[in-house]
Amino acid sequence: MTYVVAWILGLGTLALLMLAIAHLVVALFLIIPTWRICTRAGFSGALSLFHLVPVIGWMIVMAVLAFSDWPNGEASPARR
Amino acid sequence: MGLDLAALMGILGLTGAFAIVGAVLAAWMAWRIVEKAGLPGWTGLGAVLLTLAVVSSIVPLVLLWVFAFMRWPRDEPAGAAPGYGGAAPAGGPARPAPTRALAPPAAALADRRGWKLVGGLPGGSVALAIDGSATAYVLTGAPAAEPTELSVPDPSVGRPHARLLIAAGRLGLEDLGTAGGTFIDGARLSPEHGPRDISAARAIRLGTVELTLSRA
Repeated sequence: MTYVVAWILGLGTLALLMLAIAHLVVALFLIIPTWRICTRAGFSGALSLFHLVPVIGWMIVMAVLAFSDWPNGEASPARR
Repeated sequence: MGLDLAALMGILGLTGAFAIVGAVLAAWMAWRIVEKAGLPGWTGLGAVLLTLAVVSSIVPLVLLWVFAFMRWPRDEPAGAAPGYGGAAPAGGPARPAPTRALAPPAAALADRRGWKLVGGLPGGSVALAIDGSATAYVLTGAPAAEPTELSVPDPSVGRPHARLLIAAGRLGLEDLGTAGGTFIDGARLSPEHGPRDISAARAIRLGTVELTLSRA
């Protein structure tokens, strides 16, 4: 019985670890371009670290970029 | 069993509703973001629709990388303002007329902080503050004689060399036709170009002096 519990706990921990690593890898591929977008817009690149927040992180980054004035300026309506 | 099924359907319904709301929000936000970069809004909407159509593929990631590293229309140099284009000084270090100013752009910047130009010189460094108290500053290799003159003491910098113009929270740069040349992020600025918006620029070169532009 003890063996079974140990196995289940071990497998669960391994699965969680693998999930965390996969999440970090995917987040890294999102953070690099988002970091550049944020700095080009005039925000701190650290804003892109919200991608580390699961599920709603990308929404927070997009909301900041979409609904705030870009410090480095936005395209004038005539250019869009 | 019936209760379990109802609970499962409820969770699925909640997830589905969250996904729909998330997709609509993402489309709206993507539309706004690409518009701010100068691209048509439908390109952002199309990217989100494509993401929905090919869920869990690499396509959305590729689109994000392309958007991050492509040239944004916002950063394209605006044409010279009317009345300034052909007014380049015909050789010689003529002192610029103080009445000229950068024409107000279509979109003013909300950020009204000043600017600073920082760079290295062979014998030290230079740090110039542009606080916005004047509408025009002259960059010169000579010692500054007036508050609106900014000195970059280097033999390769003309006397005067270029003019900085401020309007509506934006910073403009105009080359005054010196031999050393003026460069914006590596691209040569000629006197024929007139004033160019450098609010989003990073590096300015005057002759051989590299200056980094940032907000104060």
